[in-house]
Amino acid sequence: MPDKTPHDLAEKAAAMREFGRLREAGLPVPAEVRESHLWATNDGYATGPDPGQKIPDFALPDQFGALRSLNDLSGPHGLLLVFHRSADW
Amino acid sequence: MMLEKNGLRIAAVSYDSQEKLAAFAQKHAIGFSLLSDKGSETIRRFGIFNFNMAPDLRSYGVPHPVEFLVAPDGTVVKKYFVPNYQHRVSGSAIALRQFGTVNQDAPAVTLESGALAVQIGFPSAKAYAGQEVAFLARFALQPGWHIYGETVPAGYTPTAISFEGPYVVRQSLELPAAEMLNLPKLRETLPVYSGSFQAIGSLLLKHPLPEGKLVLPGRLCFQLCSDAVCEAPQTMQFELALTLEPFVISERDLNRARASEKKPPRE
Repeated sequence: MPDKTPHDLAEKAAAMREFGRLREAGLPVPAEVRESHLWATNDGYATGPDPGQKIPDFALPDQFGALRSLNDLSGPHGLLLVFHRSADW
Repeated sequence: MMLEKNGLRIAAVSYDSQEKLAAFAQKHAIGFSLLSDKGSETIRRFGIFNFNMAPDLRSYGVPHPVEFLVAPDGTVVKKYFVPNYQHRVSGSAIALRQFGTVNQDAPAVTLESGALAVQIGFPSAKAYAGQEVAFLARFALQPGWHIYGETVPAGYTPTAISFEGPYVVRQSLELPAAEMLNLPKLRETLPVYSGSFQAIGSLLLKHPLPEGKLVLPGRLCFQLCSDAVCEAPQTMQFELALTLEPFVISERDLNRARASEKKPPRE
């Protein structure tokens, strides 16, 4: 389970920043920095509903502002629903 | 798109505002729905909110990078999760696993040795560095012959396909369940494959890699036996090439993304 207490968030943020600093500067990223970045971003990861379970209902605006739900997004055989970080950064 | 040919559609969810998504969709000519989960409420309801991000980071509110293949009634059929958010399972790998679909121009080799023929190929020639790509191996054995599965005693060679070289980070091969063959003379029962069957494998490609042609050397190991004779174990080498496409998001944009984690949120 994800650790929801904030006690190690500063340490994780520091690991993410160090990784980002090296990548931005175009410097080689040492294995231990890569490792701690992976730990910082994935610690206690959760992957949501499992095969066989139902996803929760959702209704979200698309890029045109239209409210979309599974019903009108799905093709005849279903939908690949991809969760990602950001399209902006 | 191979997924659409198979009656699937794609939608992507992020915490970006609708305006940001509209700009991104226009810039990159995105042909599928980009859904705005501003405030990350849906991400939380799916149980994939990333609690590792400090609230003052721009990345606060992002999900763990999960992909769900969902049936029209909302049942999860498959779930894909690669811990590194830059790595995604390829659409062609999903199409291959779910539907056995292979592109017309897909690279493939056929290896033949005596009673065995194996065709190994990728479902699509296109791939991206850092992607998980699937491959398909179709085996055909002449009647009366078999090869071995796992687990066999010492002296027998199980069937295996592996890719070599520095470009593959991780790989696996899913063979079907072997049939148990009883050999009373040898007082052994061994897992074997006979007739025609197929196996699906998976490769996680290294990131970064230069764009263009990527030649992946591989080897097929097996041991052919009939009821009467057992041949020596064999290793056959082969090569398959993929074409690595440029990232839609450039390396510079990726670097900017890392740098932005230092800045407070803009909104």
